[in-house]
Amino acid sequence: MNRFIRTILVAVVVALLAVPALADTLKVGVQAPITGSYANEGQGIENGVRLLAEQINAKGGVMGKKIEVIACDDQGTAMAAAICAKDLVNKGVSMVIGSYTSTCAEAAQKTYFNAGVLQTSDGTADSLTEKGYWTFLRNSFPNSAEAEFVANYLVKVKKYKRIVVISDFSTYADGLANATQAAIKKLGGKVVSRDKIKADSQNFTPVLTNIKSKNPDAIFFAGYYSDGGQLRAQQKALGIKADFYGGDANDNPDFVKLAGSAAQGAFIINVPSPDVLPYDIAKTFIADYQKKYGEMPPSIWGLMNIDGMRAIIHAMEQNKSFDTKKAADYLHNMKKPLPGITGPITFAKDGNRNGGAYVVKRIKADGTYANEYVQ
Amino acid sequence: MDIFLQQLANGLTIGSMFALVALGYTMVYGVMRLINFAHGDMVAASAFVGLTIYTQVMGQATSLMAVIAIFLLAALSMAVVGIILERIAYRPLRGAPRLSAVVSALGASLVIQNGIMLIWGPRMRIFPELVPQVYWDFGGVVISLIQVIILVLSLVLMISLYLFVEKTRMGAAIRASSIDQDAARLMGINVNSIIALIFIIGSSLGAVGGLFIGLYYRGITFNMGWQYGLYAFIAAIIGGIGNIPGAMLGGMLLGLFNAFIAGYVSSTWADAFTFILLIVILIVRPTGILGERVAEKV
Repeated sequence: MNRFIRTILVAVVVALLAVPALADTLKVGVQAPITGSYANEGQGIENGVRLLAEQINAKGGVMGKKIEVIACDDQGTAMAAAICAKDLVNKGVSMVIGSYTSTCAEAAQKTYFNAGVLQTSDGTADSLTEKGYWTFLRNSFPNSAEAEFVANYLVKVKKYKRIVVISDFSTYADGLANATQAAIKKLGGKVVSRDKIKADSQNFTPVLTNIKSKNPDAIFFAGYYSDGGQLRAQQKALGIKADFYGGDANDNPDFVKLAGSAAQGAFIINVPSPDVLPYDIAKTFIADYQKKYGEMPPSIWGLMNIDGMRAIIHAMEQNKSFDTKKAADYLHNMKKPLPGITGPITFAKDGNRNGGAYVVKRIKADGTYANEYVQ
Repeated sequence: MDIFLQQLANGLTIGSMFALVALGYTMVYGVMRLINFAHGDMVAASAFVGLTIYTQVMGQATSLMAVIAIFLLAALSMAVVGIILERIAYRPLRGAPRLSAVVSALGASLVIQNGIMLIWGPRMRIFPELVPQVYWDFGGVVISLIQVIILVLSLVLMISLYLFVEKTRMGAAIRASSIDQDAARLMGINVNSIIALIFIIGSSLGAVGGLFIGLYYRGITFNMGWQYGLYAFIAAIIGGIGNIPGAMLGGMLLGLFNAFIAGYVSSTWADAFTFILLIVILIVRPTGILGERVAEKV
């Protein structure tokens, strides 16, 4: 009996502590790889969210509520992502920004769905929106769109005859590589080898040596920049002449640094970079970001996530309600697009972001990009 | 055939890095019967120290002298860290049950790993291109300058270590301490300084291994020590833990095995096969390939 009373007392105290906290702020969770191989991107997301929260709070918050940012580090691993999801839900967030990788977004999806917490991620794996979770809003464009663009470019525009497709084992990379391979085949192109590398294993020469014997004229790498830069360096070191194309997740300054002098002449395929975004809202936000953190956002992905957060807050304000279901309904049926940092934002019924145009960028000798082909 | 030779070159390069790191495990085990789990993280730390020496001390100079200075300074700093580690984490536990020392080693590993994260941050840091990207093509087999440097320098270091342990008085003292510490003490050997010496040598070799990883792969992360430590540990066991030539052989074999499995079977399976190899060797030859003379483990 004693124990029962004690439990009730604890519950009452917790409730008393929790209620004012809930009433005071709008809790926004950040689930991102703040440490680990993708830390650069993860910190970009966290920094961006904190900056946006600061700006909104300075203008009085969302319908009178200040935003409180709660960050959780998923380290880029599915295991930590699942723990983060439970942790953020327990802390009472109403929306979660992130994660950067599809694997982590996917591992956390169900927990957010069950709790009715909105989640917006830049994860591009098609599987993210195929589960029918109303809580999930993709703020980037799905792999299938990129795969079609890549296949068309490699087969129709550049007319490569012997293409190699490489990925790691993550949800995003494997999905993008498979979709690209299928799209290349559909267009009549030839994939001479479809290889997989282990992310972070650093030593890719055994796989590349095999690829060399297939004598390819183009290599498409669907994985992340932390491996892509090393893959490119080792490709050059082995004397493989093929043109190197990195998928969207290679679009990070670290790719160039890792590849070193081998970076020159490699191509990156992605949506346009932050510094060339033509929208006024993008220019202001990036300038504020630089002022606060002393550097450019690491890539477009952090900004995509910021757009996801802006869309959710916009929906809540339009509905004059913090109800997450209503916000999701609003976003799924948006008539008038919300001007975003990365372009106008509207969502399809399945949570996919509409639109998306890709660019092929060539890396110049000084490590900067030159646009090679614009969709 | 040229694929085979290329994989051979790849395997020998990573093999010599494994071997250098494995030496640190095997020497400490030989004398103290302790698996120094912190060794892998020391390797990672040395890569970060090397990077800091390059940016802060050397002022980003990329001459040959600068590279040599980075190697010497990083090895020196890691030797100091090795001595401190032994003093704080292992010496107080020398009389304690062996499990306590292993737990202490795991703790030290976490402290060093998180220390790296606190000092240099969680991001991947990128090593400068200190060795120019020069390649030679031998009829389809491409070998780079950095691969040659890694192979030659590792071999030189390993041979000199072998000669040091086998031919010098100090080496004899190391061997004596590994056979029986009490008897060695009775013969007038200061076992404490021998153990400190072991940590100095092991940590400096690990430091060179860490710099090789930085120079060859260029991307370094605070938690990479775990991966390389595990491989080197397996290499030490395969060769016969406690045996110095065994660690060299084990490292080379593991590197070659890894390259050939990744090249001919699948990179997916490279890790799995590594552990299968370990299990097979432990079943067939529990003492490792060169570990038969139990009485003379060094």
